[in-house]
Amino acid sequence: MKKVAVKLGIDSEDLASCVSCGLCLPHCPTYRVTQEESASPRGRIALMRQAESTGLIDQTFVDFMDACIQCRGCETACPAGVPFGSMMETTREALTQQTSYQSWWRRWGYRVLGCPNILTIGSRALAVLQRLKLLPSKLALPKIPLMQAPLVPSGEDVWLFTGCVMDVWMRDTHRATQRVIEAAGAGVRFPDKKAACCGALHVHAGLGEEARRLARRTMSAFPGDAPILVDSAGCGAQMKEYGHLLNTSDAHKFSQRVLDVHEWLVNHLDELPAAHANPPRIAIQDPCHLRHVQQAHDPVRVVLARYADPVILDDEGLCCGAGGAYSALYPDTAAAVRERKIESINRAQVHEVASANPGCLLHLQAGGVRVRHPLEIVDDLMRKDI
Amino acid sequence: MVPPSADKPLLDDLQTLLGDRARAEDFELGLYGKDGSVLEGRPAIVCLPINSEEVRCIVNICGDHKRPFIARGSGTGLSGGAVPVGDPVVIATAKMNRIIEVDLDNRIAWVEPGVLNLDLSTQLKGLGFHFAPDPSSQQVCSIGGNVANNSGGPHCLAYGVTSAHVAAIEVVLPDGSITVLGDLTAEPSGYDLRGLFIGSEGTMGVATKIAVRLTQNPPEVRTLLLDFSDVRDGAAAVSAIIAQGLIPAALEMMDHRAIEVVEAFVNAGYPTEADAVLLVELDGLAGGVENGVEVVRRVAEAHHVGEVRLAADEAERALLWKGRKNAFGAVARIKPDYYLHDTVVPRGKLVEVLEKVYRIADAHNLIAINVFHAGDGNLHPILAYDSREPGVLERVHAAGRAIITASIEAGGVLSGEHGIGLEKRDYMGMLFTEHDMATQDLVREAFDPEGLANPLKILPSGSRCSDSFGQHVPEGAWV
Ligand SMILES: Cc1cc2nc3c(=O)[nH]c(=O)nc-3n(C[C@H](O)[C@H](O)[C@H](O)COP(=O)(O)OP(=O)(O)OC[C@H]3O[C@@H](n4cnc5c(N)ncnc54)[C@H](O)[C@@H]3O)c2cc1C
Ligand code: SF4
Ligand code: SF4
Repeated sequence: MKKVAVKLGIDSEDLASCVSCGLCLPHCPTYRVTQEESASPRGRIALMRQAESTGLIDQTFVDFMDACIQCRGCETACPAGVPFGSMMETTREALTQQTSYQSWWRRWGYRVLGCPNILTIGSRALAVLQRLKLLPSKLALPKIPLMQAPLVPSGEDVWLFTGCVMDVWMRDTHRATQRVIEAAGAGVRFPDKKAACCGALHVHAGLGEEARRLARRTMSAFPGDAPILVDSAGCGAQMKEYGHLLNTSDAHKFSQRVLDVHEWLVNHLDELPAAHANPPRIAIQDPCHLRHVQQAHDPVRVVLARYADPVILDDEGLCCGAGGAYSALYPDTAAAVRERKIESINRAQVHEVASANPGCLLHLQAGGVRVRHPLEIVDDLMRKDI
Repeated sequence: MVPPSADKPLLDDLQTLLGDRARAEDFELGLYGKDGSVLEGRPAIVCLPINSEEVRCIVNICGDHKRPFIARGSGTGLSGGAVPVGDPVVIATAKMNRIIEVDLDNRIAWVEPGVLNLDLSTQLKGLGFHFAPDPSSQQVCSIGGNVANNSGGPHCLAYGVTSAHVAAIEVVLPDGSITVLGDLTAEPSGYDLRGLFIGSEGTMGVATKIAVRLTQNPPEVRTLLLDFSDVRDGAAAVSAIIAQGLIPAALEMMDHRAIEVVEAFVNAGYPTEADAVLLVELDGLAGGVENGVEVVRRVAEAHHVGEVRLAADEAERALLWKGRKNAFGAVARIKPDYYLHDTVVPRGKLVEVLEKVYRIADAHNLIAINVFHAGDGNLHPILAYDSREPGVLERVHAAGRAIITASIEAGGVLSGEHGIGLEKRDYMGMLFTEHDMATQDLVREAFDPEGLANPLKILPSGSRCSDSFGQHVPEGAWV
């Protein structure tokens, strides 16, 4: 196979920090479904070492790197503290810059995420096609809204970040989040179109320049110092990393204002309506970017526990296979990973699942799981009469 | 990549059998060159079979081409057992990961070799059983690897190592035939070939199915963490606990540096200022366990224990164990490489040998970290280093040899549970005479006359005249 020269530029300390113990393997979704070393964190790190030491890569290297979901389950599992996520991001950015890694159509797709007008028009077109039953059912898309009423601000205590695809397809989730925040006594304001996309998928794809542009633009949409609440785990994780991404004091300050909405709610629980006598059993699916990146999965349990009986899944936070754009690019692997999650959900014997990330929600729904955002569930339960 | 021309006909045959599960891509071969040790080799071809029949055919094809083969489980071995030397075909068992049958009446489960140790116990949890050998790597190591290395683990103090928990093994022998060693009865007749195979590190063939014995989950479990301001008190307490006639389910020790790195990973409240901790687990019927807790407490107090912490619930217990079981990996927080020994010394000599280990490390300007199965005297001195420092490997080897010498002088042995593999092969002469080793070689030859099954492992080259491979651990194998 043809080799080309590449310099990945991964920090050599980071690269050396993996001791090849393999303890991360069972926590890696792609290893779990393939049992192949090339689809494991240990294998991917060894590949990065090979590439760095020879300065050469070939197509197999690119394929192996591209097949990582970037769930970062390996980071939580790794006793040596190997910073896998940033090593993979560095690798992808180097591949994007130095090779033809990201095809024009992929680049175009990512670009659209930052353009709310095109996204809305595109989504409406999809909604029409969907209603005319002209979309292939194997795309497994949710019911796409045709028209959506705008979100109405209610004060200036906290910001609620709205995002790209989530705002176009799942604005009702934002409305539920807003109601819960308001019930906790705070007024909510929304950013303007400059905060159209957090840039998470761009970082994962190695489109660093575009990601940094989107980060700067997003930051400019949140003046003042009110907390910035996020109800999408993937976006929250990304916005908390702006400091690292841009490395300016403004970016660090901005990142410190970012909270997953559940992190904010745990400190305002007492203001919410009283709890119920017979809480329903709800399983919690921890989105990877909440559990492995933000380490903020506990607050979801605490908030949900006020109205429900949360059940922890027995798979130690193994990824569900959504992975941002991953489920679209690797539908077979994504579905095989999801199958493990569904087995774990079945063992939990619940009627409903809560997931605090839009990507996971859509992916699990497409697999036939009854799942909603935790705050949609809370919003429902807290308004019910006891 | 086009394989070297010598490999082409072999690869063609293997691909005819396995399709794209026989691989020779440059980048991929590199991924099957290492295990958890510091050695590295390179396979000629990697095969990923999915059943016994495929393994049998692979071994036959290797025989036809006179090419060595080497079984690989999860690649967590710590002695280079799965490191390919001599251009072999790697037979990776990871895809053979089905639990074939669970027979609760006979308390046996038939599993494929690639089943991960902890996965089996997790699957059995609802039934009230588990697979007792629990290496610290249990979340990832394969049962085939456990069998090949006769692995142990913290709970093997009371329950015994892998060989006590395997009834029978289906094996593809090096001549390409398939057979079952051992049977499901309590007292099999004839030679115990099953026992011979367990611990043979892949040099007598490839295990393709394993009948493991299932152990009932204990009704009651208590876990204690004892901290000591002097490692000598901790070590003396170990002997004293056992001298009371108590056999804890597990009795583990960690020294100061180990505690620090482990706590940095798990945040379990390990006392980072202590010189040593003991993690003691008691299981069985409630009355006996409570009594055991009191015995341990009394002995610990007599040995100047700081705090006696009793895990309050399953979550706390799991967290303490998570710390212990991740200790080796966590060492990388100090230095990126480690070289780990596995000697066993009489319990009464623990303090003496531990002190020597620290002195040896100091003398070679290295960091020694100790985290080990204290109950059975199985030391795991870890020498932490950075392989990028020039000249450091020589110091590591010299210190390693000195540690082994000290252990053997104290009446100990070379390896408790990690196997000899490639790494400790050249130390065999420190424990065995030429004659001993030549006899062991005859046994091996009876299974593998052509010398194709995981060659160059366990026995130093030269102990058998027909050995045509290199003389030492190959140049460049140490990384
Ligand atoms: C963090 C860490 C902690 C550890 N803790 C312990 C511990 O507490 N106790 C302990 O005993 N060990 C421990 N080990 C060592 C290691 O995990 C065990 O030796 C384990 O049993 C190896 O299993 P594996 O599947 O990784 O085998 P591999 O490393 O892949 O192979 C090991 C040997 O088995 C052979 N082999 C593998 N599969 C087969 C098969 N199907 N048929 C024939 N031969 C085969 C290989 O050729 C090789 O010689 C630890 C390792 C690590 C990294
Ligand atoms: S990434 Fe961490 S857990 Fe995985 S092999 Fe490397 S050191 Fe071990
Ligand atoms: S990020 Fe996820 S998919 Fe990628 S190597 Fe780590 S655990 Fe595996």
